[in-house]
Amino acid sequence: MDIPYTVTARPDTGLYNAKVGIWLFLASEVMLFGGLFSSYIFLRVGADYPWPVHELNVTMGFINTLVLIGSSVTVLLAWASIKLRKFTAYKVYMAITIACAMTFMVIKSFEYRAKFTHYSATLTDGTILTGHLPHGFEIEFGGVNELTLTVAGRKSAVDADPVSYVLPYIKGDAPKFKTEDGKEITLDANSFAQLRAEAHGKAEAKAKADNMLQVPNWTIKLTAASPITFSFPPSKLLAKPALDAKSITFRDGTLIEGKIINDKMTLEVDGVDLRGTPEKDKSLAWNEHYLGSVWKNAFIHQRDEAIAEFNKEFNDGNGGTTRDPTKSASQQKKLFYMHIESATPAAHGEEGPKHSAEAHAPAEEHGAAHTHHPELHLERKDVLFYSNFTPKLNSYYAIYFTLTGLHGLHVIAGASVLAYFLIFDGRRLREDPEHMANRVEVGGLFWHFVDLVWIFLFPLLYLL
Amino acid sequence: MSAAAHTHDQAHDHSHDHHEPGFIQKYIWSTDHKVIGVQYAISGLIFLLFGFMLMMLMRWSIAYPGQPIPGFTIISSIPGVGWIFEQAIGRWAPGGVINGELYNMLGAMHGTIMVFLGIVPLGFAGFVNFVMPLQIGTIDMAFPRLNMWSFWLFFISGIGMFASFFLGTGSVQTGWTMYSPLASTTNLAVTNIWLHGHTWWLLSMVFNISASLLGSVNVITTIINLRVKGMTWMRMPFFCWAMFVVAFLLLLAFPPLEVAALLQLSDRVFGSSFFLPTGLMEGGQHLDISGGGSPLLYQHLFWFLAHPEVYVLILPAFAILAEVIPANTRRPLWGYKAMVYGVLTLGFLSFLVWAHHMYLTGMGTMISTYFQITTVLISVPSVILLTGLMISLWGGSIRFTPQMLFASAFLPMFGIGGLTGLPLAFTFIDLALHDTYYVIAHFHYVVAPGTIFALFAGVYHWYPKVTGRIMNDFLGKLHFWPSLLGMNMIFAPMFIQGMAGFHRRWYDGGKYFEQTSGASNWFTELNSNFFALFGMEVSNSLLGLNVLVSFGAFILAIGQVPFILNFFLSVKGGKKVESDNPWNATTLEWAAPTPPPHGNFDFEPVVVRGPYEYSVPGMDQDYFPQWESEPGKRAEPSAAPAPAAAAHH
Amino acid sequence: MADSPEEIHKSIKKILWVGGLLVICTGLTVWLSFVELPTHSLNIIVGMILATIKAALVALIFMHLNHEKVIIYKFLFFTFAFVLALFLLFYFSSIDPLVFSQF
Repeated sequence: MDIPYTVTARPDTGLYNAKVGIWLFLASEVMLFGGLFSSYIFLRVGADYPWPVHELNVTMGFINTLVLIGSSVTVLLAWASIKLRKFTAYKVYMAITIACAMTFMVIKSFEYRAKFTHYSATLTDGTILTGHLPHGFEIEFGGVNELTLTVAGRKSAVDADPVSYVLPYIKGDAPKFKTEDGKEITLDANSFAQLRAEAHGKAEAKAKADNMLQVPNWTIKLTAASPITFSFPPSKLLAKPALDAKSITFRDGTLIEGKIINDKMTLEVDGVDLRGTPEKDKSLAWNEHYLGSVWKNAFIHQRDEAIAEFNKEFNDGNGGTTRDPTKSASQQKKLFYMHIESATPAAHGEEGPKHSAEAHAPAEEHGAAHTHHPELHLERKDVLFYSNFTPKLNSYYAIYFTLTGLHGLHVIAGASVLAYFLIFDGRRLREDPEHMANRVEVGGLFWHFVDLVWIFLFPLLYLL
Repeated sequence: MSAAAHTHDQAHDHSHDHHEPGFIQKYIWSTDHKVIGVQYAISGLIFLLFGFMLMMLMRWSIAYPGQPIPGFTIISSIPGVGWIFEQAIGRWAPGGVINGELYNMLGAMHGTIMVFLGIVPLGFAGFVNFVMPLQIGTIDMAFPRLNMWSFWLFFISGIGMFASFFLGTGSVQTGWTMYSPLASTTNLAVTNIWLHGHTWWLLSMVFNISASLLGSVNVITTIINLRVKGMTWMRMPFFCWAMFVVAFLLLLAFPPLEVAALLQLSDRVFGSSFFLPTGLMEGGQHLDISGGGSPLLYQHLFWFLAHPEVYVLILPAFAILAEVIPANTRRPLWGYKAMVYGVLTLGFLSFLVWAHHMYLTGMGTMISTYFQITTVLISVPSVILLTGLMISLWGGSIRFTPQMLFASAFLPMFGIGGLTGLPLAFTFIDLALHDTYYVIAHFHYVVAPGTIFALFAGVYHWYPKVTGRIMNDFLGKLHFWPSLLGMNMIFAPMFIQGMAGFHRRWYDGGKYFEQTSGASNWFTELNSNFFALFGMEVSNSLLGLNVLVSFGAFILAIGQVPFILNFFLSVKGGKKVESDNPWNATTLEWAAPTPPPHGNFDFEPVVVRGPYEYSVPGMDQDYFPQWESEPGKRAEPSAAPAPAAAAHH
Repeated sequence: MADSPEEIHKSIKKILWVGGLLVICTGLTVWLSFVELPTHSLNIIVGMILATIKAALVALIFMHLNHEKVIIYKFLFFTFAFVLALFLLFYFSSIDPLVFSQF
């Protein structure tokens, strides 16, 4: 009792089942990526910032495109080899295909990693500074003598769990704490479980005594033996701390009181983007305690050169230009975006920042490549928004990660299926090569679709 | 699951010659389309009941805001059950009084469960899996193992949804539509963002969508490639046609929702701004987001699915009725061809009307005019379908079996639901009625007394094929009449409230807005006097209708008790069928042994005629099955290529 | 479907040719994206036309859509109709917002 038309085609439709199935599945995939691409269009049309063009690593993207095209060819050759009953050739081609898929993912992972460690900070006047955070970004909050934990009376979204959500952010060793009834404890999972049970007991007793409908939340106060200093990334908190915050609430609801010691963001700047700044010459970035006038002059110099070059290239003969520089995205970038690749700007006589990077090469002997970049200590009040180059940064990176991430998942899925055929389907290959050819054809169809999606992804995200 | 197990105990008798798989392989990891169909149907029924109970809680809060749920302390004190109730519901209802948060959770989960875990699994997956392969005469679905995966992915999604009640945050609170930006930003202040009802909703939806994707690929492939000899496209029962279209809707409309779910997940978990506009503030503070996204994008992606989804909900009803009505009127389905083309047109158009849910979002007049036109257009094929079924009644000698009662009630109920939808197609009316109870009443008339009645009809109709026993007729009628009464008591007053501006998300039923909701008219007076007969004091105002509606819900709930009893008791206690074809129907599923064994048919079926040959003039019996070359004689395989003996009517 | 050995040898040749063509087209796309055409929209249009040609090559030759069965064309036709609706209606609704000054 076998299901008909698994190997041979049904005469009136001319298709075997799996082929109908895979094409239906691909139709559904077309709708999936159709939805994503239309989201791309929607976001791009509605973007209120210059849409990044050529911002990703084009070389890597290009290589990946070739890798995928190559694998598409080899998967077809694998299928043809089965049809010709050349089983060794089939295995070789299949292995190459899978190797290509792995290469693709490795290159992709390098691309991703570079973005996770690269940051962008938008200042309050719209200036964007990009660069690296050598120590991450952490707020130091000191003078804390007391932890106020809140144990939820009923199961709740926020419930005291200081061991996971507070202790990791104490600078140095955690001190001993004194409970309200004077016991001295070291805060760890065991001691907290005990505290928690006690608090819960008290809350229940109170609920009973006062005839309350629900067990109330119960606060535990822990007094530190010595003042503690905390250091935490702001994203780990329950809510963004105010600029002059006197108290901080951790994700588990634990409250501390004290004052901010240091909330400056140390950024090694590698780029200044003034496209969103209304008055480019008065940008916050040119403050003396930030980049200063030296860099400002370098910027003005670069801008003037770019204007001159533009006027020369598109000279209409009457002192005007044939093109409107404000309408050219790449010209705007040339004018208002400055790469910073050295600790100090190149002198005006020198060619450009690239040369000066070489001039400063001896700095590397100090063992810190970062010293090629000016190190700024941005005050938190000047920073409107900061993020690494992840989906959070803007809608371009959001759609970039979603599209390439989903595409990557498809690559992994397709490669796994092909690897399954190669490794575990040897018997079918020998005994029923026609069925195997069908399977490879179907797997290949999916693989070509993955290639096809990339054909659109590559220009949309990397080039245009 | 016990009923599934019972159901197939009898399958043993027919399958002695096969290798006997163990219990787990047979009923849990089953690849048999019939077992999977029953699994789907029973989980769907359980979820329908669960979603209905959530609605009962909501109705209590609306009718009696601020008053404790009756029986709250009793339920809470039952060991075990009390703890579960406390974790899921009780902790949001101090002393049994439902608060706004809980109401929102109940509302969101009621919608989600009814649509994605109740009606679609029962109406589409359950019926199509059991009936369709039998109707087209094949031994199983094209990809049995994918079919099993489809069910289990669905099951995971159901568990995920259900479990989200028990998370610290409770389940999702932003309505079944999950509109961003609210849905992207609310309740982010939690200990762990992954242990969040909203996150679980989104992930469960991803599982649910994958399940329906596998299921629909399977259904379409089976219909295209596995039709038995002689089963040409135009000899296919309308049931298969409608399910074919539904499968296409699921296949092509769900992916954009998957996109929406993934992007919203990214917004919530990775802090992106797909659906968040620049400068969004919450609680007087700028959010820590980059902005640059668009809430409108979410609604487009969501409604691109959710409008076809409406037809996913209603077409199984037409599919079932197209089998139930001819079998019980002993008349051919009127306008079979017109209905087939109608359902195909409906499927196509349903992709082009989605933004009529979005008239209030600030779309321009040009684009909303386009959507008004397509929306009005789509009523044409809908009317063709309904008319076809309605005229099929003409001149029939109708057998009022329970399934026929439900089927005949479906027609006017769907009619009311459909006609009240027409005004909503126009922007200028929709501006006033958007998000009011009018809309609630409109679409519930379509899916509750509409689709759900049809699903009941289907359960009564095919139950004998699944179990070999007929459900009790008296209990069936006892199920039907209170259901009909309850449904209308619930939804008819909502039209009045809706036109008075009652908003669908008021958890106190409008008590806070007493100055407007306190208005009265002749109906409210009637309502108040009616309750006075029973010594109950109900205010003579639109608010008083809330009590009527909630009583309707209660009657509906009571009305389901006979069904549940009937459903389980008839497995062992129902009247045994005397033949494989107890309803004297014409389609191929009735040619299979009862219950059908693994592999379905004990002969090689061949189709020689159209699907609805009832009351053929000049014949002794009033039905002429598809598989018979002459009355009482099975067609030989060689008979297949011969042209159809009789034309369609 | 190419089933006899000669036909398969022929199709292998075709596959290699198309693979080469795809590589060339990719190079062309990259190069053209760095050329500044009068407006950036033109760059996008040219790039998308090239991408569509490449996609068509993959779909028609690699995925054998140049000689496929009718039923597959049928449902792919509907799929593309819906994707097109998705693109166009999304686009139109984003460029046609309700402007209150019109009232």
